[in-house]
Amino acid sequence: MIHYLSYSVPYEKEDGDVKHDWRMAVGEHGPGVLEDLYARKEFLLKASKLAAAGAIAGPLLANVERAFAAVEVASTGGDPVATAAVNAAKQYSGITLTTIRETGPQAADDKLFGGPLWEKLTGIKVNTVEGSDAEILQKQIAAHIAHTGDFDVNEALGAWIPDFADRGVIVPTDDYLTKYKGSASLKDIHPVYRSFATYKGKTWGFSDDGDAWALYYRKDIFGDPKLRKAYKAKFKRDLRPPTNWDEMTETSQFITDQLAPKVYGQGMGRALGNPGNYFYFFQTFRSLGGRFFDPKTMKAQINNATGLKAMEYILAELKASPPGSAKFDFLTMWTTWLQGKTAMIYTWPPTGRISENYAQRDKAFSFLPKSKIVGKVGYAPIPTGHGWVNGVVRCVSADSKNIDAAYLFCQWNTSPSVSLQRVMLPYSLRDPYRLSHYKSKKYGSLWPGASKYLKALCQAANDGVIELVMSGAPDYGTSLDRAMTAMYAGKDVQSTLDATAKEWDVITKKLGVDKQRASYLNYLKLTGSTSSNTAAAKGIGFKC
Amino acid sequence: MAETLAYGRKRRPVRAVSSFVDRHFKWLLVAPAVFLVLALSVFPLVFSAWVNFVEFDFSVSSSHPWVGFANFTDNFADPDWRHSIWITAILACSVVAVEFVIGLLLALAMLREFPGRRILMVIIVIPLFISPVVTGGFWDLFLRQPIGPANEIASWFLPGTVTTNFTDDGYWPYLSVIMADAWQWTPFMFVILLAGLSSISSELYEAAEIDGAKPRQSFFFVTLPLLAPIMLVAITFRFVDATKLFDIIYTLTRGGPGTETYTTSYYLYYQGFERFHIGQSTAGSWMFLIALSFIAYWLIRRLLKPVEA
Repeated sequence: MIHYLSYSVPYEKEDGDVKHDWRMAVGEHGPGVLEDLYARKEFLLKASKLAAAGAIAGPLLANVERAFAAVEVASTGGDPVATAAVNAAKQYSGITLTTIRETGPQAADDKLFGGPLWEKLTGIKVNTVEGSDAEILQKQIAAHIAHTGDFDVNEALGAWIPDFADRGVIVPTDDYLTKYKGSASLKDIHPVYRSFATYKGKTWGFSDDGDAWALYYRKDIFGDPKLRKAYKAKFKRDLRPPTNWDEMTETSQFITDQLAPKVYGQGMGRALGNPGNYFYFFQTFRSLGGRFFDPKTMKAQINNATGLKAMEYILAELKASPPGSAKFDFLTMWTTWLQGKTAMIYTWPPTGRISENYAQRDKAFSFLPKSKIVGKVGYAPIPTGHGWVNGVVRCVSADSKNIDAAYLFCQWNTSPSVSLQRVMLPYSLRDPYRLSHYKSKKYGSLWPGASKYLKALCQAANDGVIELVMSGAPDYGTSLDRAMTAMYAGKDVQSTLDATAKEWDVITKKLGVDKQRASYLNYLKLTGSTSSNTAAAKGIGFKC
Repeated sequence: MAETLAYGRKRRPVRAVSSFVDRHFKWLLVAPAVFLVLALSVFPLVFSAWVNFVEFDFSVSSSHPWVGFANFTDNFADPDWRHSIWITAILACSVVAVEFVIGLLLALAMLREFPGRRILMVIIVIPLFISPVVTGGFWDLFLRQPIGPANEIASWFLPGTVTTNFTDDGYWPYLSVIMADAWQWTPFMFVILLAGLSSISSELYEAAEIDGAKPRQSFFFVTLPLLAPIMLVAITFRFVDATKLFDIIYTLTRGGPGTETYTTSYYLYYQGFERFHIGQSTAGSWMFLIALSFIAYWLIRRLLKPVEA
């Protein structure tokens, strides 16, 4: 935002020569436009760019300002959950709460929006510590082990909740929900996201993000008559967004064969340690009906025929991807997609927003390029329908000296009205996870096609399978992550999966077979734990 | 009388403190430093010795029951630990060998004055002053497909189009690590060996020449024997440092693909700071420290031998 505004501020040169100062105002890169010979045509071009920038920045600024105003209204009577939190929190005015968030847009959410507003409403300051996905896990555990009390508000992926809860990193919030009238807030959350904050029959915070994967495809490529004709001739069916994994691998390879190196069939983020790499296996494996463990013996099942098939699909997809994509992190994946070099990706929700340049209008999103595929992106379910779902939970630290205040911040920050504004912020990386979000007309009008996007996300949540929410989940995940990159590099699939299954068995034994069995059985009860246990299958999905 | 008593009661402790300070002044001066060393070195060492024998694992338990040698045996039972020891040994020997040979050749080339020598030396030495993390990041960007120029550059010199994934394909991950490390640390070898070469008296070469020695013979029978102690110093320092290889691995390969480039340091970091199996990681660190101490002891004994002679 700020950089657009700064262009409209007249630039005064030190020598006082102001006759060219307007040129600085219309340029994108400053000094480069201060040429003496300044063609009229170029000026008109630059001026029209400025006008366009203003046209884009104006409404965007208005959007953010409206979001601030909307939250203030919601917090002073408009939303009972937010209002109750604000009123109760005023008694803690003057203290500082420390939150932890993933670096970048997630942190910007607290730093630029939630934090300043909370301080304005309650007098409580918010300090945000940033770190990468792996770092925020490390920092929170290290702080708890050393009892430093570094954080008041924790952030956890669903997979971390059992360990955080069992080790006493976070406190259950059930009593606070009753005390501060926050229970109503939970009913509006999609059942699949409620799974993440529920463990051993207790609530451990507020779900705060809707990370359901969907398939994003290029409508122009899938609608290309020549391509469609060639596809039909080869496969005896119409070219369409794939509905099963065979179709996915065939279609990806077909597009690569036809259009590479200009466009590849797909290109996912598969680098070691990249958040998401092992999610591909978890997703494909379970969409084919796979189960992680045998509940009786707790022996890992990832190396069975279903696991082998899942991995073969993934390797076939990799073959149809751009060179080097085994090392793509998710930013490279998005960059490649936004530049129009891939025809499909299946991944996290901001893809819809960034494809339409909604997010990149803001300075905080400058790490991604502008989209070259605006208006060309279609949304579809993941092949088989059972896509990956993970969630982020805002929790209250057991080591906090201000537990009530920390809880109240979470309640307010994730309340229906406040969270709606946050998922609409261009610079935020929070995505719809409430019924009220999916039904929001405001969100649906953010860009042409936003309502279809909301519907796709809602459907993805209804049919999605969730991450592994059990004790030791990060260990199992990292083990698989490493194995997958070894297989990408050419290691034999069956023997690598066998070795990984052995590693899982060692982890299970170390953590205690009985304890892990109880944890896994608890997980199997959660909505979305298997493809036959999704919100839609249980009849508790939202009507999208 | 009462006043005197009161006065005496007040003054006596002050005098006692003053006297104590006078008597122990030298100890008081070093006390802060001693305290710092105890707090930052001795306490963690003693604490880690205790952690070796208790369950100190975030995902297992909040309490710390005694487990005997289980943390040590857990490491031995882990194939990744055993693999990391081999990788550490292979990589350490490889990088030291490569750096030594290139460093020696560079030192020999730079021994005599020629135009541009000083500028060239500065350029050669620059990588030494770059953080290893930055070095790893730089090589990652250089080698990574499709953004890195490495394949493009290789294609200029080799037939066809080179499409190697330098951090994934075959032996390339190891070679990439060796290249990155050699790029950074060859200057270290170069500087030490150049200093050693410069200290050899030119009279010895003149005498050899008068005796009819050819340049190759001068090198093997004059240069090498006199340079040997310096070579051993350079190799010892670099070897001990190379066994701790971590930063470049962290930024270039992250130990991958799979666990292929896990060095022991990286493995211990992974167990301790990514997975919080602190007991196992600490036990592994102790074993690694003891093994390294034997190697360092052997190298230092070799190092001191010529001096004693």
